[in-house]
Amino acid sequence: MTMTANRAPARTEPASPIKRTNPIRFVILAALLALLLIVIAPLLIIAINAVKSPADYAGGGPLSLPPHLYWDGIVDFWNRVNFGQKLWNSFITSLVVAVLGVALSILNAYALGIGKVKGRIWFLVFFLVANLLPQEVLVYPLYFLSKEVHLYDSLIAIVIIFTVIQAAFGTYLLTSVYQEFPAELLDAADVDGAGKWRTLWSVVVPVSRPTLGVLFTFFFIWTWNEFFLPLVFLVSNDNQTVPVALGVLQGDRLMDATMTSASGLIGILPAMIFFLVFQRTLTRGITAGAIK
Amino acid sequence: MIRSRTGLVAGALLMAASLALTACGGGSGGDETEGADAKTLTLWHYEGPTSAMGIAWNKAIEEFKAAHPGVEVKFEEKGFEQIQQNAQMILNSDSAPDIMEYNKGNATAGLLSKQGLLTDLTDEASKRGWDKALNSSLQTTTKYDDDGIMGSGKTYGIPNYAEYVEVYYNKDLFKKYNLQVPTTLDEFTAVMDKFVQNKVTPLAVGGAEYPAQQILYSLALSQADRAWVDDYQLYKNKVDFKGPQLKYGADTFKQWVDKGYINKNSAGIKAEDMGVSFTQGKFPIMISGSWWYGRFSGEIKNFEWGTFLFPGNKLHPGSSGNLWVVPEKSKAKALAYDFIDITMKPEIQALLGNNGGVPVAADASAITDAKNKELIENFNKISSEDGLAFYPDWPAPGYYDVLVAGTQGLINGSKTPDQMLDEIAKPYDENLADLGK
Repeated sequence: MTMTANRAPARTEPASPIKRTNPIRFVILAALLALLLIVIAPLLIIAINAVKSPADYAGGGPLSLPPHLYWDGIVDFWNRVNFGQKLWNSFITSLVVAVLGVALSILNAYALGIGKVKGRIWFLVFFLVANLLPQEVLVYPLYFLSKEVHLYDSLIAIVIIFTVIQAAFGTYLLTSVYQEFPAELLDAADVDGAGKWRTLWSVVVPVSRPTLGVLFTFFFIWTWNEFFLPLVFLVSNDNQTVPVALGVLQGDRLMDATMTSASGLIGILPAMIFFLVFQRTLTRGITAGAIK
Repeated sequence: MIRSRTGLVAGALLMAASLALTACGGGSGGDETEGADAKTLTLWHYEGPTSAMGIAWNKAIEEFKAAHPGVEVKFEEKGFEQIQQNAQMILNSDSAPDIMEYNKGNATAGLLSKQGLLTDLTDEASKRGWDKALNSSLQTTTKYDDDGIMGSGKTYGIPNYAEYVEVYYNKDLFKKYNLQVPTTLDEFTAVMDKFVQNKVTPLAVGGAEYPAQQILYSLALSQADRAWVDDYQLYKNKVDFKGPQLKYGADTFKQWVDKGYINKNSAGIKAEDMGVSFTQGKFPIMISGSWWYGRFSGEIKNFEWGTFLFPGNKLHPGSSGNLWVVPEKSKAKALAYDFIDITMKPEIQALLGNNGGVPVAADASAITDAKNKELIENFNKISSEDGLAFYPDWPAPGYYDVLVAGTQGLINGSKTPDQMLDEIAKPYDENLADLGK
């Protein structure tokens, strides 16, 4: 009903001159622009200060425009922390976590959502509770465990930890999606003689691909942005990830505002690029549920 | 999308643990030549490469390499936050470095020494003469007793540099209003009155962080002697928060706010913003630490500036800088001692001084840079009077936030000096009770 109601007027008055000059549209446009400005203001300030020399910052403050572009902050920071290596560390851990996290979520959710394992409500409650635990609580147990298995100061520890953390959330979300999975499809697969394994890979996974894409993208970005556990677990500089490397600039009493901005800028760029690339996956995944 | 963290991890690792090997055992010995034949020295610090310490220590690493051919130095620059958060965990693991920079104080170096994670340097310090290079107030922060309380006991760390609170002033603005550098507290207030008459707020203050409490402490120190500092910092005797020192500090601080020396809105200003407002020339005076010095030398281009010690005071907030410590798990202790020894050499100390740092054992004549000479002469003056009085937030854990809240109350007028003193006395006394004193 609502859909036809919306569509009808759009078709009747596409070129109405009254609509075009309607002042309300300009007000809305202005309001949207103002909102946009508020949203991107912090990013703009970071960008401005990233290309400002420390002396200009000292003389003009954080809001002044740089009189000339100054790239040394970015270059110095890149070399100082060997940023290429950190990018690689972050990329590889985020990617592995995203892939393994999605795979683990699929297996769990298949059992809980479609397989209707006994006591699945309690499993879900468990995953939900696990999701609500703050990381700070986990630090000491994880520290001792990883030391026991000689994974302290290793990227593998981070991969294992975050695969489990992300999969806990993924299982919770994906299970509720699979509970709504069309029974006709499953029955058809059954009639065609597909086993449980075949049904999962040939029917369930392809149909839920948009949702899995969303999970993958979120897992990647969340793992990329993780700070606290990587800070604790990645001791050697060679193992550190991007957010941990940014922490190098945080001094005891002083901060280097221009270099911090420079590092912030190159720190968020990869995540933003990744987001732009996978943006369509996200929108498709979010609307995927609505179609059915 | 905001999401909370989960806890399944422990389970996963438990499974992993069941697959894995048993933990390796390890004993620790402790004689002086231990690790002399090590082939690597892993060294961590968290000073920027262009800071005075960064420059001097880089040079020290070079000298160390020259003196120890065949030893590889693995230097890693760390973040302050990472060391602060994790030192205990790192030093308890096989990833511990052989030597590292660490924060001085009861809650940091004191705590680690109490847990047996740091090597006792007492013998090395006397054998190599480090103890003679450091005056007694600098040594306070290197020694920790069995409870991890500083001031007595064994030596666990060696500082290369010092820091102290002084007064930075904008020479151009002083000249504009025809003002001289004050030498007494009365002259200082007269200078600030003159600025207020000309509608200039004299003091740049960051009330949301450490600067405000250091001003209040400086004022209290103007009425104090070394015995009071020992009482307050080292718990020698009970401190009366309504006694002449702190009472004077709080009352005078309040007066400074009322007279307009300190802006009412500075309660929400951070230290960084305070520094930038001074470098922009918005305020003629800033009372803060020597850690700004190198930065101001490099960045203030629009006006002439200088420093003087808090007028009339013999005691000043300040202390040794951070310490070199040798973790108990260090595999190259003898090499670590050699490295510390190099950092105490006159040429490294002079390099520190010439780059805007305050060396602990420098010959003032070796400091060639005129600007830095001022910094070091001021320090030598304090040092000769044994005038380092540490920082007001040291005596109790979490006391920093108590003092920030207290001074903010004074600045925005929500608390009277008496209320503020009662408020800050409580956690102090509770800490004393916890320590059984």
